[in-house]
Amino acid sequence: MLDRTRTLTALLLILPSLALSLWIIGYPIYDVVYTSLHEVNRFGKVRDFAGLANFAKLFADPIFFASLWRTVLWTVTVVGGAILLSIPIAVMLNEDFYGRGLARVIVMLPWAISLAMTAIVWRWSLNGQYGMINATLFQLGILDGPVEWLASFDTAFPIEIAIGILVSIPFTATVLLGGLSSIPADVYEAATIDGATGWQRFRWMTLPLMKPFLQIAIVLNVINVFNSFPIIWVLTQGEPANSTDILVTYLYKLAFRYGRLDTAAAMSLIMFAILLVFTAAYIVLARRSEEKGA
Amino acid sequence: MLNRRLAILTSGVALAALSALGPAQAQEKTEIRVIVAHYSDQTMGIFGGMEADFEAAHPDVDIKLEDVSWDNLQQRLTTDIAGGTVPDIAIIGTRWLLDYAANDIAEPIDDYMTPEFKAKFIEAFLEPSVIDGVTYGLPVAASARAMYYNKDLLEKAGISAPPATWDELVAAATAVKDKGEGAYGFGMQGKEIETDIYWYYALWAHGGELVQDGKSGIASEAGVKAATLYKSLIDQGLTQPSPTGSNRQDMESLFKQGRAAMILSGPWLRGQIKTEAPDLNYGLAPIPKGTVQATYGVTDTIMIFKDSEHKEEAWKFLEEAAFSDKNRIAFSEKEGFLPVMKAEAAAPVFADDPQLKAFTEMLPYAKFAPLIPNWEAASDTASAALQQIYQGQAEPEAALTDAAAKIDELIQQ
Repeated sequence: MLDRTRTLTALLLILPSLALSLWIIGYPIYDVVYTSLHEVNRFGKVRDFAGLANFAKLFADPIFFASLWRTVLWTVTVVGGAILLSIPIAVMLNEDFYGRGLARVIVMLPWAISLAMTAIVWRWSLNGQYGMINATLFQLGILDGPVEWLASFDTAFPIEIAIGILVSIPFTATVLLGGLSSIPADVYEAATIDGATGWQRFRWMTLPLMKPFLQIAIVLNVINVFNSFPIIWVLTQGEPANSTDILVTYLYKLAFRYGRLDTAAAMSLIMFAILLVFTAAYIVLARRSEEKGA
Repeated sequence: MLNRRLAILTSGVALAALSALGPAQAQEKTEIRVIVAHYSDQTMGIFGGMEADFEAAHPDVDIKLEDVSWDNLQQRLTTDIAGGTVPDIAIIGTRWLLDYAANDIAEPIDDYMTPEFKAKFIEAFLEPSVIDGVTYGLPVAASARAMYYNKDLLEKAGISAPPATWDELVAAATAVKDKGEGAYGFGMQGKEIETDIYWYYALWAHGGELVQDGKSGIASEAGVKAATLYKSLIDQGLTQPSPTGSNRQDMESLFKQGRAAMILSGPWLRGQIKTEAPDLNYGLAPIPKGTVQATYGVTDTIMIFKDSEHKEEAWKFLEEAAFSDKNRIAFSEKEGFLPVMKAEAAAPVFADDPQLKAFTEMLPYAKFAPLIPNWEAASDTASAALQQIYQGQAEPEAALTDAAAKIDELIQQ
């Protein structure tokens, strides 16, 4: 009886903040859903109920599907690359060596610079006519004429992925480093005494113990990279011929350049659903493998 | 700590004093809010002059100017309109006007305009702001495009006069490539905003139109000819390599550095060359002819909002201050735009400037962006098709036909 009143009081006490967060999260979602189901003009004036016409428009748009496919490619390569590179970096930074503090700061530093600034610097460096990269390659005798790196998908997109990986490393390495430092040192000592090699220790101890941190790093990175706008926008604006557009850059064009807020709302709902499904599926998979392990 | 407290306290007192003073003064005055697009760092100064002129003549009106960058302007106004907090007057791109008129946002000004006032304008510049016979605004800035050529590079290549036709341009570019010591013959834009416009010059010169009978004209014979011409310029190495990597600024930089012999651009480039490359020996000529002479004309419109509560005063500000001879001449001269009023064109600064003549002489041939719905999307569609052609991913005719079909759908929406 006492328990029940206590639960009730507790519920009553958190009710205001619960209502507030529901409002803050719920209202925008409601608004986007509402917009996506209506015909809405550039000025946000809602006209007729459109049913699923805005979604139909998207599904008839080849650029949407091409962007969707590229978003998958972009997310998988950037997150994959960032994780693969961050593991050795985190392991190294976890070792005790002279100047470790400085090394950690250097790895984290790029995090402090805004993505848009980083992208602008890269754009200058990659300029075919007066960029630093071409000038260097030219002086080394590797190039004999200007190469416009951002002029075609074949060079522009891999470069954008590489920059994406580079800027994701500080965050990923921090998460993994946090995980590594939570592993007690004595288990390693015990393993070493039992004759485990460095690789064996890494493969059979570090990696399994790191698993929850890897999972967090993957989920957060996927959400981040999937919605990442500045790198591609600053470098190529999705050009040439929409060949480097991902969903979020195309979404921006639809909403703010073409003034089609309704179709854009439908598209952001689809993006929201994709991320939701991914995150849910990932959590379920992670739980299952954990249960198996235990 | 004490200092900080003191600072907060004093600023609080100052704020209270300000807010006590503010409304008392403003109450008697009619406030007119004007959104000024940021053309250059001089824009606000020029509009400040207009404000001073008007407030001196009408002490009961308070003109409030607001500086907004072009990048933010469309979104800013869209937000204001959606939120019901529109200003009284704003500068907008003329191509946005169709949306503003269709949604009943812009006030028709035909009833305000006296015939004498109307007669002060150069007729061609008023027209872009007319939709279905109704005038929705006044031309505030106008520009046309011309060909910039590097005199030294052409001379080195043995060319004495700037090319007047596209055939001559190809010949001149070839000569520059052979003898120009690494300079490019013709600067080509293939990236970002206005990629399509850079090609419309050639489309128009070959007799094409952007919209014919309510349908896209980019896949016409003239369009295919223009695209084939540009592709062949790229393939022959007469332009900088991989133009899909060069936006307008990149291409203009090549010209400023003396590394491109000919490019097509607007009056703003003169000002940039004056400050960034004062030694560049260059000239201006009309855009080369194909079968006809043509250029791209752009106007910006200053308009009054229908929801403004002081439309009469707003109009008076435009008629008496913003479009007085003195202020117009100051604006066009300092910003490097073309005269839109007859009095400006007659002013010595414009009449005696030989370089400016290249632009003003092109005016009778100026084509304006058609007022069609979804212009921005149509423009991007055309640019994407061109980028495919320039990269060799598609044949001109196939790519343009495809794009034209998409644009037709956009126009009909």
